[in-house]
Amino acid sequence: MHFPIILFLTKNWLESHMASAICSQKDYKVVPGPEAYLSPAAASMGIVLPEKGQGLIEGQIVSEKVAMEAIAKKLLGAKNPTFFPGPNVLWAVSEKAVAKAVALQEMVKAVPGMKIIPMPDYRPKYPMINPEVEINPNHPNLTIWHNEIDVCVFAGVHCHYANLALKIIRGGTDCYTIALCANPGHEDAMISLRDVHVEDIRRLTKVIERLREGSK
Amino acid sequence: MIPKISPGFEDVLPVEYRELVQDGSYGRNLRIKDLGTFKESIEEHPLCAGCALSLSIRLIVASLPCPEDTIVVGTTGCNSILMPQLAIHNIHSLFGNQNAVASGLKRALKIRYPDKHKDVVVVAGDGGTADIGLSMTMHSWFRRENITTIMLDNEGYSNTGGQESSMTREGVVLYMAPLGKKYPKTRMFEIARESGCAYVAAVSPASPRRLEKMVRRAILVARAIGPTYVQIYCPCATNYKFSPSETLKRTKDDEQIREYMSSDAKELIERLGE
Amino acid sequence: MKERKVVDPEYLLKEAPREKKFLIGNEAVAEAVKRANVDIGVSYPITPQSEAMHLVGDIYAEGYLKDYYRAEHELGAMAAVAGAAMGGARTFTATSGPGTLRAFEMFPCWAGARLPIVCAFMCRGVNSPLTIQPDNIEIGWLMDTGMLIFHAENPQEFFDMLLQAYVIAEQPDVHIPVGVCADGFFVTHTREIVEVTPEDEMLPPYDPSKSPCPTMDMETPPIRQIRDPFVMKSNYISYNAHASWQQEVRAAAERSRKHIAKYLGSSIEVTNPDAEILLMASGTAAAQARVAVERAQKDGIDAGLVKVKVIRPFPDKEIRELTENPKAILVPEHNIVGWLAREVMSRTDYTKVCGGPRVFGGMTMPPEVILSEIKNLARVI
Ligand code: SF4
Repeated sequence: MHFPIILFLTKNWLESHMASAICSQKDYKVVPGPEAYLSPAAASMGIVLPEKGQGLIEGQIVSEKVAMEAIAKKLLGAKNPTFFPGPNVLWAVSEKAVAKAVALQEMVKAVPGMKIIPMPDYRPKYPMINPEVEINPNHPNLTIWHNEIDVCVFAGVHCHYANLALKIIRGGTDCYTIALCANPGHEDAMISLRDVHVEDIRRLTKVIERLREGSK
Repeated sequence: MIPKISPGFEDVLPVEYRELVQDGSYGRNLRIKDLGTFKESIEEHPLCAGCALSLSIRLIVASLPCPEDTIVVGTTGCNSILMPQLAIHNIHSLFGNQNAVASGLKRALKIRYPDKHKDVVVVAGDGGTADIGLSMTMHSWFRRENITTIMLDNEGYSNTGGQESSMTREGVVLYMAPLGKKYPKTRMFEIARESGCAYVAAVSPASPRRLEKMVRRAILVARAIGPTYVQIYCPCATNYKFSPSETLKRTKDDEQIREYMSSDAKELIERLGE
Repeated sequence: MKERKVVDPEYLLKEAPREKKFLIGNEAVAEAVKRANVDIGVSYPITPQSEAMHLVGDIYAEGYLKDYYRAEHELGAMAAVAGAAMGGARTFTATSGPGTLRAFEMFPCWAGARLPIVCAFMCRGVNSPLTIQPDNIEIGWLMDTGMLIFHAENPQEFFDMLLQAYVIAEQPDVHIPVGVCADGFFVTHTREIVEVTPEDEMLPPYDPSKSPCPTMDMETPPIRQIRDPFVMKSNYISYNAHASWQQEVRAAAERSRKHIAKYLGSSIEVTNPDAEILLMASGTAAAQARVAVERAQKDGIDAGLVKVKVIRPFPDKEIRELTENPKAILVPEHNIVGWLAREVMSRTDYTKVCGGPRVFGGMTMPPEVILSEIKNLARVI
């Protein structure tokens, strides 16, 4: 066979490149870690975000209802469930933010023993961070380890920083992550809801309460 | 925005945030004389002991007329290591592009908040302002952007280990000027005045009250009239190799206090009683 | 400001009535910007882009944009749109070849800062020696900045892709810049029929409250916020944070695939996918390849064409599948480095891929040149 134009790339380079491309095609699951020295972003492993009315469980698209039930079960079965509120609910910038903050606190009350540790902002704080009282998206693992958190819920965190935090948690800890997102959701969380507003949080709280009563 | 905590979350926020809300400087028109009586918008930072630059930033932040509506644009340098500790929105983009970023930002905020003053204040070093970013600094002045440019003049590149900048004085030996700098300090005060700045000042943190007055004047004139420039002399203990205890004396000894204002600016400053 | 009606993006892109106009590519750009409800345009002259930004200036003067100015240079222009975007404005700018290089430091910075800036690149050759003529080598450099990259074949696509770019760039799960590229002169200065949507209908305004990073306006929490922070301490925690940040920007590009499918239809256009000889091309090379393929088919050669419209995120899956069966793949390009051939080769059995023909420095690509390569291939496979 004769080709008129010379190939520019060496075989070795191509083989290594192909190998990494093939890896990403494997069925990837978003499950608790510690996953890797540097875990991949779930979106790059083929995980896609849910559509309206849907949620994500460990990378699989499910109905929002199924995702809510799963969240409630995880929270009620946790040893040390913790809520990480982000700036969009911690700070009373609007009536909507305040209403959401109140609804989220009700959710926390519905889960026996659930703690609140805030993410007040996003500036890298290591090594000054006190992991007892706050969590930071650049090194969230420190707070998870320090407080031995096995299940956590994110809400009110800007999406970019939520994804950083969720991915780093998966990389270095065995914590089960749940994201209640006001936008289209988070593939990097183990369970994610999308378009979560006050009413949705109330519905989730009801599901938690129902399951809690049922298990008595 | 004057920060407020959502009800029920007051107790979960770390103390430094609660203090910002209860005792911060937002919306209170506080001054340098009030320092020590309120929670400053700046947290502990890793700059060197005896750094005149960090002292200057502390004074600048305490001098802002409306910290609740101020956005700071910085650039690479020692100052940018401190910036994440600022409880005021601030941008670090690239080395030298701060006045172009500030131009776009100010125009966006004018569009989005036509009835509010959003003060855009550039705080950058001498390398960022007078060397790598000079064209963008000057063109923001030519275009008469409504922004304030504050240069922290430590007469060299400090964050990269002490190299000569165009603001280094003639004859000084620093890295990249092994035989001593071969030309005089760039005359940024005159450049600013000739480039269209309505208000130009030079000062140092050794005169804190004067610094406050100048920063306030610069910001108020930038709001109403056009670009303004304040050059703050902040000698660098680490790279000029003097003891941190000497910083204030050196700053005082070499400080040059100058002020220029256009007739419009003068009239405004008088009218505002500044 | 000009009185206009805000309409649903899907309606504007897919259903709105279209009027035929006879436009050069640069005019099509201004027509798109007019309908994109852009807040701020920042310009800087360079051939062959200049005319597009003159026209954006004209529509600013008519009240279609809220602000517009000529920057000091391309780095200043790209920095200004970054500042404006961080302040919550929708922006537009454009450049070409050497201007792209002058501004280059800003492109990964836009992507890293998650700014939904739309920038048109009217591709031209770079020095030295100086040329103002078409050559799209700059796309090869832009490909790895983290931006999304679209490549328009003609003025119509330039118009459509710019509007689609705004809608895709501003999706909260994407929210990264889009570079819409077109080959200089061949597209920018060629007059063709362009079907445009009504002049008095525009996209809804940009909603900064959905941004994945806080808007810098002192109205958005948290107030203790730096964009973008130094993440450079010498410890694993900092390295990991920086690495994760980079991954998140790439993840945002991955998420755009769904929106690209919705608003562009597809990243590729295929004719005769089962052909023995498959051509893969983008931009005006695709137009020339189409003519060559038609002639080859007339001559009894089994040839097909894949036009690649989206360079980033690269349509990996589609290209992998399409390259499985053909005996040979030909990749004609308007640049010396063969960036598209490189992309295709790394996703298939590269021994089947024949990078070329390539023209550059302003040369046109006559279909005959491609056809003769097709014929060479047909003889040897
Ligand atoms: S190197 Fe100089 S300017 Fe930088 S922090 Fe230390 S003393 Fe201040």
